[in-house]
Amino acid sequence: MADLLPWIFILVAVAAMFGGLVSLWLSLTLALSGEATGNTRAGITSDARLALLTEKEALLQEIRDVAFEHDAGKLSDADYEQLNAKLRAEARHVLHELDAGAEGFRDEAEALIAEKLGETS
Amino acid sequence: MWVGENRMPALDIPFFGTLVLSLTLISASYTMAVAIGAGRGRPHLLPSARLGTYATCALVVVAVCVLAYAFQVHDFRIRYVARYSDRSMPWWYLIASLWGGQDGSLLWWAFLLCGYTFFATRWLRGRYTELQPWVLATLMSILIFFVVLMLFAANPFATYIRTTPGDGEGLNPLLQNYWMAIHPPSLYMGFVGWAVPFAILIAALITGRLGNEWVRAARLWSMIAWTFLSLGLLLGCLWSYEELGWGGYWAWDPVENASFMPWLVGTAYLHSVLIQERRHMMKVWNVFLLALTFFLTIFGTFLTRSGLIASVHSFARSDIGQYFVWYMAFLILAIGALMIWRLPKLKADNEIESLVSREFAFLLNNWVLLGMMVFVLIATTFPLLSQWVRGEEVTVGPGFYNKWMVPLGIVLLFLAGLGPLVAWRKATGSKLARAMAFPLGAGVVVAVLQLLFGARVGYPPIVEPTEIYDTTTGAVLAWMAAVAPVVSFATCAFVLASVGQEFWRGMRVRMKRGESAGTAMFRLVSKGRRRYGGYIVHVGIVFMFIGFTGAAYDVEQEKALRPGETMAIGKHTVRYDQPRMAADPNKRMIFTDMTLLDAEGAEKGQVAPAKFIYRTHPQMPTTEVAIRSRPSEDVYVIMSTVDPSTSRGTFRIIIRPLVAWIWIGGIVLLLGAILGMWPTGRELVREEVARARPRRFRLSPAGAIVAIAIALATVMAWAGVASAQDDTSSTLHAGTVVINNPVERQLFGRLLCQCGDCARLPLDTCACGWADDKRVEVRDLLAAGVEPSQIQESYRAQYGAKALAIPSDEGLDRALWAVPVAAMVLAIGLVVMMGRRWQRRGARAHASASARTDAELKYDSRLDEELDRLEKG
Repeated sequence: MADLLPWIFILVAVAAMFGGLVSLWLSLTLALSGEATGNTRAGITSDARLALLTEKEALLQEIRDVAFEHDAGKLSDADYEQLNAKLRAEARHVLHELDAGAEGFRDEAEALIAEKLGETS
Repeated sequence: MWVGENRMPALDIPFFGTLVLSLTLISASYTMAVAIGAGRGRPHLLPSARLGTYATCALVVVAVCVLAYAFQVHDFRIRYVARYSDRSMPWWYLIASLWGGQDGSLLWWAFLLCGYTFFATRWLRGRYTELQPWVLATLMSILIFFVVLMLFAANPFATYIRTTPGDGEGLNPLLQNYWMAIHPPSLYMGFVGWAVPFAILIAALITGRLGNEWVRAARLWSMIAWTFLSLGLLLGCLWSYEELGWGGYWAWDPVENASFMPWLVGTAYLHSVLIQERRHMMKVWNVFLLALTFFLTIFGTFLTRSGLIASVHSFARSDIGQYFVWYMAFLILAIGALMIWRLPKLKADNEIESLVSREFAFLLNNWVLLGMMVFVLIATTFPLLSQWVRGEEVTVGPGFYNKWMVPLGIVLLFLAGLGPLVAWRKATGSKLARAMAFPLGAGVVVAVLQLLFGARVGYPPIVEPTEIYDTTTGAVLAWMAAVAPVVSFATCAFVLASVGQEFWRGMRVRMKRGESAGTAMFRLVSKGRRRYGGYIVHVGIVFMFIGFTGAAYDVEQEKALRPGETMAIGKHTVRYDQPRMAADPNKRMIFTDMTLLDAEGAEKGQVAPAKFIYRTHPQMPTTEVAIRSRPSEDVYVIMSTVDPSTSRGTFRIIIRPLVAWIWIGGIVLLLGAILGMWPTGRELVREEVARARPRRFRLSPAGAIVAIAIALATVMAWAGVASAQDDTSSTLHAGTVVINNPVERQLFGRLLCQCGDCARLPLDTCACGWADDKRVEVRDLLAAGVEPSQIQESYRAQYGAKALAIPSDEGLDRALWAVPVAAMVLAIGLVVMMGRRWQRRGARAHASASARTDAELKYDSRLDEELDRLEKG
């Protein structure tokens, strides 16, 4: 093992150096070309939607937890009703926002598809 | 490939290593610039930044490999290699030498940071695209600091100016053990890991996206960092217990404190952030806590590496402190400015609705954790403050910390049991009382049982107090320490019952739906991994407290024996059989074989404490302790001296009840932490699969990190089991310390050895010749009727204030405890006051929230469907 280790370190170093220099070259090439990739744009436009989806998941989780705590006897019926109603109202609002946002999202998706199809044709 | 008499590699490794570091600096700077460009409205630069990040990480890997290669081929042209290795060392210690000294450990820091950066960059692909450029830029900026540090102040590839030595100085014998292979890497994984959530936070502050998005993005990474930090601390305890050989596992050394502080604040953050996730509150506080945690990791590295305060970790000192001071100042300014700029966006969306709620319990938990951090911070830096303010050097020894931390720790433990019992938002008094009845009952039963029978079974409820001050404060602290065992065991029972009840109540809810007990338990945990993982962490903490409490019952004895003679301690008898010599290329070893006997004289096991004399450090013979570990107690055997001509040996034996529970608790804590973050890992896998390759399983980078955490926890478990066997470990300072009575113990505990070589060791622990002579001198004074307080004063007059283990309880010294106590009192007042204010505002907000509920009733069925999906999924 002691004889083998130096060679292992050399091999890993050479591979890492090669990978590093290639990545650096590609990075520079991309940066200088000024080209935007579809992924980047789509990613940015989907961020707002992703935030809403995460918010929805969190609210659903909270509604479930509140129900669980009520079932486990930690919350009185009155408190549970009050909290559940509030959380559901918030969740409905988020669903509404998601639906409203989906329109614009759909338009953008269609535009991207059209752009892509145009590129390939 | 090699040339010359010393077989040095033909390649100029020192130059090549420095060249790679320079390239890393250029690459990291370029990547940071490109990432900032991407963040400032040029999104097409983002892929370039990602590629630049990979390139930078690869270059750091090259640098580490080059240094590792230099160690393996003994390239002693490199100063660092010559100082921390020699030709006789086996290959595994040559690898551990990479982080054995300061320069290499900085490179190791950078390497681990690159590991995290690589996985974080992979994980960020296709998500959080607005945050992403700033995350990358922040991570690169941290890396740049460390590379600058290496290039301009602590270059691991620096060479000797004149001659190259034929052999190296060798690694410090204390570091030549298996703990060295896993303790520093895991601790550093914990330290460095906080860089990723910190980078996400900075990205959120810069972009103004301060909702729950960044919290969710940072969640897994902060859990991973916390887990590794916990693992690192635990391994540090094991290293201290087995290697430093003074019989303890935590000495409140500045470097230990440096890693404990971010753990305290990180733990506070992990609790507090739950409030933000569920209630959209405490946004400023969470930003502050996460930023403080990262800051404390840098501060900890600064303390570890600058050697500013005397520490047992003195094998890694230097003058790089000024770089850290500037960097820390920059961090404070930058974070402060960003927080002030974004204050309007950090307003809470909700308010606390009741002081009897989970949110408020978490606030109390934060109060205790931060209070402990302030205590540790002030006590750790007090020697420096004293030096600056009044030019007098003082020392703050373990006694101070132990006396103040024990009551705070028990309050924290109590809150760990209380939290799960209280509902979110609002808990009614009657419901809470019902929930608390069983856990409180369990606590009371344990307390009564211990009061009635504890003394008979070796666990008396109240122990003999020792006072650190001869004042009222000292008396109060001593009283709290005296009753701590019964209070601690009762609180442990309370928390265990509380957690057990939570599992039972959860199971009962599911069983009412028709599930069997086994299915209910399985689904309960699998559907709420984070919650129940957290509860298991609490169980781990309880086990650890059981181990800590056991320290109140330590017994120790010291005796000279000839082969065949025995000594009795507690319920054990230990027979000294014979000395035994052995050698390997690295060292000579003198073992003393001993046999443990039971009351009937039957053999129970063997132990072999030893002395090791390393070839490169013959002037530093190490004492290898032997430990026989069982859940009820450890038998900890130290061979102080052995005479080769007569075979007569001097042995010190310590019986440490329950100490094994600390390691068992640690393993449970890690398993709980892994369970807690596992669902997130799976969710990420799913999410990534859904985004990229719908029908093919692919482990995400986060999944890979979780897998590494599990692998390390397994190593930890294995190490814990291994250490539970009869074991030998080394120390430089274990020797002969005889204590005859409690007065001596209290006095020796207050006086520090002044030989110049045993920094911070009190006379009740230090075994060097100087300490031995001083103990004889002090004993003579006591026998002559001199009061302990007079002896203490004369010791202070002779050697200065720094010679006392604990500063006095008067004048500026009193600030040591008065400032943190005042801060905690002020903070609890503020917490209660703000809680009441939030409660009032919350009630008003609630009224308005319920007024707008009827508008979107059409979504109700969709909500039910989604909830059903969540339950089934």
